[in-house]
Amino acid sequence: MNIENLGKTVTLAHGAGGRQTSELIDSVFKAHFTNPYFTADDAAVLEAPKGRIAMTTDGFIVSPQFFPGGNIGKLSICGTVNDLACMGAEPLYLSCAFVIEEGFPMDKLEEIASAMELTAKEAGVKIVSGDTKVAGRGQVDGVFITTTGVGRILEGVNTSGALAKPGDVVIVSGDVGRHGCTIMLQREDFGIEADVTSDCAPLWNTVKAMLEVSKDIHVIRDATRGGVGTVLYEITGQSNVGIHIKATDIPVDPKVKGVCGMLGLEPLYLACEGRLVIIAPESESEKILGVLRSMPYSGNAAVIGRVTEDHPGRVIMETEIGSETILSQPGGELLPRIC
Amino acid sequence: MKNEELIDIIKSYDGPKLRIMEVCGTHTHEIFRLGIRQVLPDNIELISGPGCPVCVTPVAFIDEAIMLALEKGCTVCTFGDLIRVPGSEMSLAGARAQGGKIDIVYSPMDAESYAAAHRDEQVVFLSVGFETTTPASCIAVSMAEKDGIDNFSLLTANKTMPKAYEMLKDYVDVYLYPGHVNAIMGNSECIELAKRGVSGVVSGFTANEILSALAAAVIKVREGKPFFVNAYPRVVTDEGSPAAKSIMNKYMEAYDCEWRGLGIIPGSGRRLKDEYAAYDARKKYALPKISGKVNKACRCGEVLQGLIKPSDCPCFGTACVPTHPVGACMVSGEGACSAYYQYGGEL
Amino acid sequence: MCVGLSAKVLKVQDGTALIDSNGAKLEVSSAMLESLEPGDYVMVHAGVAIAKITEDEDEQSDELIGNLRKTSAR
Repeated sequence: MNIENLGKTVTLAHGAGGRQTSELIDSVFKAHFTNPYFTADDAAVLEAPKGRIAMTTDGFIVSPQFFPGGNIGKLSICGTVNDLACMGAEPLYLSCAFVIEEGFPMDKLEEIASAMELTAKEAGVKIVSGDTKVAGRGQVDGVFITTTGVGRILEGVNTSGALAKPGDVVIVSGDVGRHGCTIMLQREDFGIEADVTSDCAPLWNTVKAMLEVSKDIHVIRDATRGGVGTVLYEITGQSNVGIHIKATDIPVDPKVKGVCGMLGLEPLYLACEGRLVIIAPESESEKILGVLRSMPYSGNAAVIGRVTEDHPGRVIMETEIGSETILSQPGGELLPRIC
Repeated sequence: MKNEELIDIIKSYDGPKLRIMEVCGTHTHEIFRLGIRQVLPDNIELISGPGCPVCVTPVAFIDEAIMLALEKGCTVCTFGDLIRVPGSEMSLAGARAQGGKIDIVYSPMDAESYAAAHRDEQVVFLSVGFETTTPASCIAVSMAEKDGIDNFSLLTANKTMPKAYEMLKDYVDVYLYPGHVNAIMGNSECIELAKRGVSGVVSGFTANEILSALAAAVIKVREGKPFFVNAYPRVVTDEGSPAAKSIMNKYMEAYDCEWRGLGIIPGSGRRLKDEYAAYDARKKYALPKISGKVNKACRCGEVLQGLIKPSDCPCFGTACVPTHPVGACMVSGEGACSAYYQYGGEL
Repeated sequence: MCVGLSAKVLKVQDGTALIDSNGAKLEVSSAMLESLEPGDYVMVHAGVAIAKITEDEDEQSDELIGNLRKTSAR
């Protein structure tokens, strides 16, 4: 069945469980997610991998749903794939649940499903099960997606936010704050224009390549909401260490810097959707950087600092004048300031 | 000149204890962010002054704004800085959660444009700020006049600095004047103050500019005479901006105005003149006189005057933290308490 | 009290100026500045270009400290 026959927009009938629901699933979701495991039954039946598995879930709401560098569909795959990757887990299976607002354009929904297909393919993960609900107009904003993923943890890999050790180096896999900046610009709240693209990307291949050259990696985290700064603070708490970073070593796209300058924001606290924070022994640093810089989403990876015994629970920043200051703690909503 | 050379000059200061007040909240913020206190010798102390419009805006102002949003059904447009400032009962963020329409804007002109595009809404802009920001509010009113719209008004809490300099001069050896206020007003007030024995340096906002201003202060203090130095000539002229001064004088007038923590400072406020009452939210919506409830334990007032350190306040770090501020100094990223809490006294 | 942004003027039209800072562009009021031209640098606060900027900060500090030392030594 062709999507033209479904009508131009999603209606409450598409979520009622009857014929129209089946038509929507067949022509939009099944058309894109097709693989031997994708199920029409109540649950997908899967082969259990050997060894340890990792499992994670995440809900995605983003306004607008389409932005330079991606859309909510791509985001919903990247987010879950990256969470698995951070545990050293090869993403195997994904489920996805859609809550769609009545009146959502059918062609946009198709575009979202198509992006999910492409991203899942790139990450090597199979979408095996799904759910579709339609909510009345105004009850949700466009479309909300929840994905849950299962992955197989590679042998010999043991990463956790609690494993950072004094002396380790802190690496970011690319320039910070691009996703948050992109979304802010798309919302057009402040009339600022800049050619910034979201960093949204699936990072399993990146992590896999890294683990192939070094299993001795203590922490891998993807910096999403709250940005790299929030992740660093979380790690200092989990590992009971300090982290010392150097302001001039943090890669920031000049345009992101420009936007942050206009609004008085700190790029370290803007969201990323395709950036890893990696903490590893100094001896592994060159190998890891070498691999990262050869991969597509981490060409400008850089060492930004070190784990310290001093100042546990704090992120210390060496400033441009060479003195040390505490990186301000993450505070709720990002607010542009005039003063 | 390189930052290192400027730091050397500052470190060479060997005179008696020097108290320098950075008046401007953006200076406070940058000084903490850059770690400038850490390069100062022990005999130079930087005190954070009252130049954060958020910090000195009284509780009642927030209450008025909330009344406009929740009771009068207005769309309240504000700078992001004000969103979390506690009022008597709640903050603007709290009012937003209760269904009030509260929008963050980058400039007062954006609020006017919004009003012009949404004629069915009554739009009020929360006009806070010192001499640097006030012209922007006046430009917005002039745009509303030109556009012929009647659904845009200001809730004013605009303030001017010179009377505050006068009030705090006994606590301070040298003022670090706020470069962008002087960019508008010029230097005459500060030159006058120097003639009456009050020293000061106008400073810019980059690391190099703040260090230059401090180095200039150290060099001039050695001469033993009151002084005024413009260390920000790439932006500040003695004359200032005639156009900005003229638009402020056209739309606004001085009045005796309350500063949170400091009380009434005569002639220090700016509000719309009577002839522009149609753009004055207080008159337009006949707001009652509100006297806000202040938390008695909060010692923001003394912090603002540089009399106590934030950590001397009983609320600091316990009842009052950035995520749940009691006083305004904890709210704004540039407030002395917030900066002190975030960046810690420990380094 | 006043976050400022130094930016380059790209276009001036009807009391507004299009400015560029590191590739981020924004339209601001140019009503406070006379004879503003593309290529000028300005200081922007809350959507208003408040001053034309002349020198860069290195020259500024060289000149400032140089002059102060001269007069101070006298």
